[in-house]
Amino acid sequence: MENNNYMSTWKKSCIRIGSPTNILAAFTAFIPVLYLCNKFDCWPETSLILSAWALTAIAFGAFYIVEPIAYYASLGMAGTYLSFLSGNIGNMRMPCASLALDVTESEPGTIQAEVVSTMAICGSIITNLIATTAAAFVGTAIVAILPQAINDGLKLYASAAIFGATFGNYALKKPKIAVFGALIPIVCKLIGTLPAWLTIVLSVFGTVLIARLMFNAEQKKKA
Amino acid sequence: MDYLQISNLPIIWFLCSFTVIIAALQAVLFIRAANKATKECQIDPEIPKKAFRVGLVTAIGPALGVFIVMVGLMSAIGGPMSWLRLSIIGAAPTELAAATNGATAAGVTLGGEGYTLQIMAVSWFAMALNGAGWLLLTGVATPSLEKLRDKLSGGDTHWLGVMSAACSIGVFGYLNVNSIISKGFLNGGPVINMGNLVAVVSGALCMMALGRWVVPKHPKLAEYSLGIAMLFGIACALILA
Repeated sequence: MENNNYMSTWKKSCIRIGSPTNILAAFTAFIPVLYLCNKFDCWPETSLILSAWALTAIAFGAFYIVEPIAYYASLGMAGTYLSFLSGNIGNMRMPCASLALDVTESEPGTIQAEVVSTMAICGSIITNLIATTAAAFVGTAIVAILPQAINDGLKLYASAAIFGATFGNYALKKPKIAVFGALIPIVCKLIGTLPAWLTIVLSVFGTVLIARLMFNAEQKKKA
Repeated sequence: MDYLQISNLPIIWFLCSFTVIIAALQAVLFIRAANKATKECQIDPEIPKKAFRVGLVTAIGPALGVFIVMVGLMSAIGGPMSWLRLSIIGAAPTELAAATNGATAAGVTLGGEGYTLQIMAVSWFAMALNGAGWLLLTGVATPSLEKLRDKLSGGDTHWLGVMSAACSIGVFGYLNVNSIISKGFLNGGPVINMGNLVAVVSGALCMMALGRWVVPKHPKLAEYSLGIAMLFGIACALILA
């Protein structure tokens, strides 16, 4: 098949689409605040902005680097651009991509897998944009008439339930790896004082390392 | 006008729409690229369609969660900003933390007394700066991540498959445990979030049961399995926790 030759064309077009749009969005996100300060002459002191930024970067700064690296193997190139622009990675993009790869029986690393995860993520982005746009216009009215239980259920438990379901899907296919994938973060979180970014690094790369050891052992058995 | 009225002005909606449109535009461009790849590599055209449907449908549940959370966020940071922030990177808790840090830096509380227009601007800057971290890093460094993956997989496609699965298992292991255990032994715990525990375990068990016994007999259900398992997990959490 000519698929492998197409892979480099695909990657080039991913970079051509993804890189400018992600960078552009970083800047356009400032437009409202720049207008606000200009129009209402309410420029805050730079030191205030810097200290607010510092407070935020202490909490999230490590994630800017750790998350793209840790999620890359699952998201691929197009998926990384799309997911880190549109967000909701754990609760939408990755579950959608992994289920789509599953349902279409696509092998990771093939052009079909790239196409499938891209399309699944794009589908989920459309759904998300519809939801946020609807919330902007009719959200307040709808939430007011929803029964409290539905409101609470979706707000409090939607993420945890889809995290669990996605994990269950992998556990079915790779039960041995899944045991360690659950054990490592349990130990980290039970200790309690490790920073979140370190827990992610240990969970992801620890699980990959154990998978590698199992993989090597299997290869030896086969040989 | 108070700060919340100003934050809901029509012009602010308009200015926020630029970024939302970029997110939509990027998705459209990638769909076009994927369609082109489908043709050039002679992939069955049903496959990308199916994948798109899976994304569209599976995201409904979590998107409803975002919908409800956003309504809450609108009362704190206004409609247009909530719309912009929740349409791109940064979930509601992240955005609230950044907005709150803006207020904290100025020595007031978000939306509380002394939360002036000027301090709202600090909150807005903090959210934009925080989001820019992920956007700039992936905008610039994604090709290097590809090289890193190539190096780690060593060109062995069999291992690449296992590695991708192991990465996802690690990510979701973390996300699950993080939502369940809120405090560990060394910081006054352990504190367990029972609702999330029930949601995670019942969601996982439902998905495993579907995968093992239901989907093999009714393959069409596979596309909806995550959505079904999610609703089951939410229902169990509401009833049991």
